[in-house]
Amino acid sequence: MLKLGNVEFKSRLILGTGKFSDTATMIAAIEASGTELVTVALRRFNRDKPSDDLCAPLAKLKGVKLMPNTSGAMNAKEAVRAAQLGRELSGSPFVKVEIHPNPHHLMPDAIETYLAAKELAADGFIVLPYIPADPVLAKKLEDVGCAAVMPLGAAIGSGSGLSTAEMIKLIIRDSNIPVIVDAGLRAPSEAARAIEMGCDAVLVNSAIAAAKDPVAMAKAFALGVKTGYAARQAGLMPKSDIAVATSPLTSFLK
Amino acid sequence: MFLTVNGNKIEHLGDGTVSALLAELGATPEHTALTVNGDLVFSKHWKIFKLNDGDTIEVLTFVGGG
Amino acid sequence: MNLPAWLNPEPWLNRTFTAADVQHALGAESPDEETLAALLSPAAADFLEPMAARAQALTRRHFGRTIQLYVPLYLSSWCSGGCAYCGFASDRQTDRHALEFDAVEKELVAIKAMGFEEILLLTGERSHKANLDYLRECVKLAARKFHNVTIEVFPMSGNEYAQLAEAGATGVTLYQETYHPETYDRMHRWGPKKDFFQRLEAPERALAGGLRFAGLGALLGLADPRHDMLALYRHARHLQKTYWQTGLTISFPRIRTEAGGFVPPHPVDEKMLAQIIFAFRIVLPDVPLVLSTRENAAFRDGMAGLGINKMSIASKTTVGGYGDRGSEEGQFDVSDTRGLDEFCAMLRSKELEPVFKNWDGVYRLTA
Repeated sequence: MLKLGNVEFKSRLILGTGKFSDTATMIAAIEASGTELVTVALRRFNRDKPSDDLCAPLAKLKGVKLMPNTSGAMNAKEAVRAAQLGRELSGSPFVKVEIHPNPHHLMPDAIETYLAAKELAADGFIVLPYIPADPVLAKKLEDVGCAAVMPLGAAIGSGSGLSTAEMIKLIIRDSNIPVIVDAGLRAPSEAARAIEMGCDAVLVNSAIAAAKDPVAMAKAFALGVKTGYAARQAGLMPKSDIAVATSPLTSFLK
Repeated sequence: MFLTVNGNKIEHLGDGTVSALLAELGATPEHTALTVNGDLVFSKHWKIFKLNDGDTIEVLTFVGGG
Repeated sequence: MNLPAWLNPEPWLNRTFTAADVQHALGAESPDEETLAALLSPAAADFLEPMAARAQALTRRHFGRTIQLYVPLYLSSWCSGGCAYCGFASDRQTDRHALEFDAVEKELVAIKAMGFEEILLLTGERSHKANLDYLRECVKLAARKFHNVTIEVFPMSGNEYAQLAEAGATGVTLYQETYHPETYDRMHRWGPKKDFFQRLEAPERALAGGLRFAGLGALLGLADPRHDMLALYRHARHLQKTYWQTGLTISFPRIRTEAGGFVPPHPVDEKMLAQIIFAFRIVLPDVPLVLSTRENAAFRDGMAGLGINKMSIASKTTVGGYGDRGSEEGQFDVSDTRGLDEFCAMLRSKELEPVFKNWDGVYRLTA
């Protein structure tokens, strides 16, 4: 079971709801994925674009919790404000702290994320910060009460996969809280790889929303995550050949 | 009274409560969060919270996001 | 008395590992506790050569071709303790000495002149001759000359550790001796050291108090080595995950002959010791592993760079002994009696570079 704060989840796949062509596809993808946690963003209400409004369709989903993100915030203060608005609107204690000042590469601001996470954790939120794959930052966020850390696999929407794998392994090694890869995944095989490697869950958005058949891709990602977990439990075979030196190193041990 | 709502100047013709404003805008209260002059106003206060002429209001809802 | 669940290695001790398990462990992508248990198992004894090769590759990757050198200075042999295996136990007939401060200074000058930059200061259990105030003063003296000052002394409170950190101590070494409670109780016949948990929790107090490094270890020979080494690993991982801004080292002291003739109940031979060291290098690839002059020259020469990346040399386990002639009986018999130059020449012949300091203490703010 994946445990975030005091809430347990059977599914280790978390879905983002952005970039879908329409709400109906998004809802169908969520259902196909079996996810129990989805992210949403806050935007100004626009009476002329009611189709953007997700609240009604999301409310109909059974067993799916909402995790508002703070996307759009440029600094910690704005992110805290966004989180409070999100909690007020959703009634959910979950928040994904996401602060990316540069609108091109969308890389997360480590310093502002730390400041926001610290304040929100103290205010009772279940905080999941989206961060560069930095092992020191991850421990600092754990220390201030985050429920998990979410290191990026690669830049949002890049589809570059687990480019930060070695860093993520270091984070996993010393973390006492779940490690969730968020951003950059393109294929279900990469989600499987992340779980095999030791991640507790993955968060996927672009790879599903921008697939040719998002609903089928959502299902495929769910299978990928389950496969990765089953493989990890089964114990993968050894990787390397055991190289033996030409002159024995241990001849001094008689 | 005149209010700035989501960046647009509008004239509010109701009784000046948040509830009245949302009804005027056609926003569903359960799907809306609101700030007045930068401060979050909790929904439990909407029936009584009085807006003032010149207030800046953000009316927010959830949309898709990663 | 039961070990807490996080420390207790019992789950691994009933399992039998096969050659296939060992192969699997050697190829593990992210070595963990199961890897260690397999590599410590009797089945792994047939795999020493591949384990050594892997250990050497990992040591080179994380530490280069270097060996960190340090030296111990026994400040005092006064001890009220009752450790059955130690030459300084209170029921042993040995002269007791404690260095006066000017003698300490003389020793430090001599050691610094030899070329060392890292020093280990040792005392026995807390005594009137070697108490906190004495220790603090010695640490201050040492910190003026040495970039790393490690203390291997009696366990103390967090506040006391903080005082030593402020005085310039950078690390604490404290061997649990054995993680097997019944054995621990039997071996530590009287004195404050009888308190198993007070000792176990001391490294955490030291790290919380501001000391940067903690050195762990168990005295091989006291109890089942597999039990103690698995518990030692759990202890190390616990500290790594909690005090993540600090450094760990692990030592592998093996009971050696000493004047009192204590015979270890679970003797560990050189092959087993090598197997243990290779296994630890494989599962903790970036933790310094330490070998002292308890071991003989041939073994140390072979193990340098094969997992081991930190060693003492030219050591005296008598009180003082570097500046002035030392006292007669040491805590244990030194096996490798070579001098520093001879040892460094040996290292260089194996393409290993002796390193005396790996960071500068000059910017540290101390009293």
